[in-house]
This record gives sequence, structure tokens and C-alpha cells, in this order.
Amino acid sequence: MSSSTREEVLRHLQTVGQLQPALHKQTHAPAPTEITHTLYRAYTRSAHDVGGEYDVPIEWHEKEEEVWELNTFATCECLAWRGVWTAEERRRRQNVDVGQTIYLGLPYYGRWLMTAALILIDKQYVTLTELHDKIEEVRKRYEQS
Amino acid sequence: MADHDHKPAPMVDEVSDFEILELAVRELAIEKGLFSAEDHRVWTEYVHTLGPLPAARLVAKAWLDPEYKKLCEEDGVEASKAVGIDWVMTPPTHFGTPSDYCNLRVLVDTPKLKHVVVCTLCSCYPRPILGQSPEWYRTPNYRRRLVRWPRQVLSEFGMQLPEDVEVRVADSNQKTRYIVMPVRPEGTEGWTEDQLAEIVTRDCLIGVALPKPGITSNAKRPVLKAKNPVHHDH
Amino acid sequence: MSRVEHDRTHHAKIATGVGDPQCFKGKAGKAKFKVGDRVRVKDRPDIFYTRTMTYVRGAVGTIVRAVYESPPAEDEAWDNTDNVVWFYSIVFSQRDLWPEYHEVYGGDTLETEIPEMYLEKA
Repeated sequence: MSSSTREEVLRHLQTVGQLQPALHKQTHAPAPTEITHTLYRAYTRSAHDVGGEYDVPIEWHEKEEEVWELNTFATCECLAWRGVWTAEERRRRQNVDVGQTIYLGLPYYGRWLMTAALILIDKQYVTLTELHDKIEEVRKRYEQS
Repeated sequence: MADHDHKPAPMVDEVSDFEILELAVRELAIEKGLFSAEDHRVWTEYVHTLGPLPAARLVAKAWLDPEYKKLCEEDGVEASKAVGIDWVMTPPTHFGTPSDYCNLRVLVDTPKLKHVVVCTLCSCYPRPILGQSPEWYRTPNYRRRLVRWPRQVLSEFGMQLPEDVEVRVADSNQKTRYIVMPVRPEGTEGWTEDQLAEIVTRDCLIGVALPKPGITSNAKRPVLKAKNPVHHDH
Repeated sequence: MSRVEHDRTHHAKIATGVGDPQCFKGKAGKAKFKVGDRVRVKDRPDIFYTRTMTYVRGAVGTIVRAVYESPPAEDEAWDNTDNVVWFYSIVFSQRDLWPEYHEVYGGDTLETEIPEMYLEKA
């Protein structure tokens, strides 16, 4: 293992330590009696259901679209076109199943992309090893080009 | 890329994790026969044709033709055909775009009723008639606040509405997609459909802006630059 | 290998040339509510997935349109379309949704779509 991998590992551990927990409460697998209905509901909430949550004004932005974002959108729609999933299945996976940290942490089409990758594995069209191999292969191709 | 020895070696950072994963997923899906490279190309081309112009034209037509305006209110999918958008047959699927479905509603403003659209649960948006959604529309911030503090959010977009105007927020939470038909502004008497369509901007169609003679583009906002941007046809 | 076999053309078969939600038309039976009815949104369990937002639950609104028939999102999210239900567009007074909404703006409203199983007569 190269030292840059170790550097990345250590940087990763530092970064995840800074991620905010969903609730500013003790979250180390508490005893069942500590989870009231209110907490149960808060923990099991669907991360996409944000309407009415408190927030402060921000600056509104426009954004240029990345080529990979357009390609991701096309991939997701082609997967639905050819019956691999329904749009509702995609929305559930990419807006809820990903969990709150990814939900709020990744770009909009980044979540579409993670979800498109996972559906191939969940529905057993591709093994996770095949996906990992492919990621490695694509990375090498880019490095050599 | 033509990198030479005296330059720093190409950094992996030059290509993002998203770009790598995107290519990996697309290639695997094609290799496994889930869809074809041609499907992907056709879809991408279709997306390149999308933008807010058909929706702007729909509004302009309705301003000029009360019968058509009635049709817009009753059946947005049927009304879209007059501006070249068949929600079912235009997308390459011939059953609509999977993510936008085929149920457009046109929310008709009056001098006493102002509509504004949000999707609190994701960022549902009528792509077939309006193109890709703007970044601010996708933010949790807009989605959190618009349903509860609509007048404050609208004022941040530059719209102050009197007390006796009803603000109606449409939360696009299921299969319906919405566009807003604003009131035709004063100072446009005698205008042609083309002239009228020019002042119906994307922001007017979402409901965060009002059309004004002389204003033909969205309010200026900071633009987050892409590393490798898409160039759409318009 | 334990891949679940599923017919990838099943949606295209019913929706081609027709559209979605049009392809579910006539499959939900008789609509239980009509335009003008006052309805309350039930606070059904919401684990794993829902598209009936928490903020409308328990609130009373008015049905303004029976919009279409479709499987509920909760089922379609796992690719199940067996049970088709009516969806209604419902208008709520903002004052009924948010305790702090100012009475000066008492005319303000919010419109959204709710499937029949979430509704009861108010």
C-alpha cells in the first residue's frame, strides 16, 4: 500500500469524525427503553421529507451542468425505459435509502449515480466485484490517456 | 491529453470520482445488455432538445386565446401538443419520460392568486416542457422553506405581494408536474405571441418571478462553474 | 444464482402510447371522495418510504380535483403495481399547517396530492 493511501485513510477518518450526526444526542446504540416514540420517529424518518424544516436564507445559485451529470440522468432514464427499475424505485433508493448523511452530503446527480450503481448489484445484473474491477479499469484508462 | 515530461504527471484529481463511476456504471449496463449504447445516445440527444421555450409559448398562446387558456387549465398534457410537446410520444420511450410522468397541470394565476412550485420530497420538475431544473430549486433550503415561509422566500427572489393576493404553493409530491401561468403584464397590449413568449422566463414558469416588458431572462445569480460543462442547444 | 426473475417489459407493455399514470385509468374502482369534500390526512406509519409529507399529516384540507389513478408510491417504490388507488389534489389553508402563519396572510394556501388511503372525512 502506498503512503498516499494511508494519507487518504487518515484524512477520511478525520472527515467522517466531522460529519454531523442526525440528532445531537448520544447515538451509540442505546438501550431500547431510551428510544421514545419521538426519537424512533426522528431516527426512522425518510431523509427526503424536509418540507417545513427550519433553515436560514441563503444565496440562490445557478449551476452549470457537468457532462457526467447529464450522462447519469440518461443512464437512469434508460434503466427505467428498459424496465430495470421504476422511477419511484429510483426516487426511494436515491432520496431515502441512501441515508441522511449521503442525502445531504452528495450533489443531486451524485445520488442518482450511486443509486444507478447499486441497482445493478442489488438486482444481480453485476457483482460488486465486477463493479470494483470496472472502477479500477476506468481509473487506469483515464490515468493512461 | 498531451502531457509532456517536464509537466507534472497527470493527476488522478483531474478526473473526478463521479466521472469514473459514471463511466463504469454506463459501460457495465451496456455490456450486460440492460440498455444499448444507442439508447443512451438517443436519450442524451432528447435531453439536449429540452428547455423552457415550449412552456413560455404555451403561456403566450393562452394569453392571446381564451379557449386555449381553458384547455391549459383543464388538460395540460393535451394543451402541450399545441407547442410541440407530446408528453407520451415525444420522449424516446413512447410512454413518457420515466421520471416526469405524463400529467402536467398548468396553474393559472389571477390578479388575486399567485402560484409557486416546489417539490419538497425531491426536485420533481416538468423536464419535457421546461428542461433541467435550476440548482436553487434542488436545494433542501428552498424545499424546506417555501412551503412554510413562501412570502419570505418569494421576497428573496424579488417578489413582494400584497396581503390580499393569495399565495398558493404547489408541492409536486407525486406524479403531477406543474408550470405556472402568470397574469399577462400591463404594457404588452398588441404584442404578438413571439413577443409575449420572450418575457415568460423559466423563473416565471416556476412562479418565483413575474413577467415584465423588457425582461427576457432570469434574475442574475452567481453561477457554480462546472469542470466539464454540458453545452445545450440553447 | 438466485436472481429474481422479473419481466422487464411489464411497464412498457401497459404504458406505451398511453403514458403513466394514464395506464392505470379505470383500475381503482369508484372514488371515495368528491371535489369539495373536507378531508383529514391520516398519520399512517411512515417507516421506509412515503410521499405523504409529515407536514400535512393530521391537517384538514379541501379536495379540489380527483387527479388520476395510480399505485401508491409506497408500493411502486418496490415495483409493485397490484393495488391501484385514487389520488386527489387537496388545498390546505396555510394557517391550518403552520401555527405561526400570520393571520394577515390568512388567505394563503398550499396544494398537494394525496392517495385515498391517507384520507378520511373531516
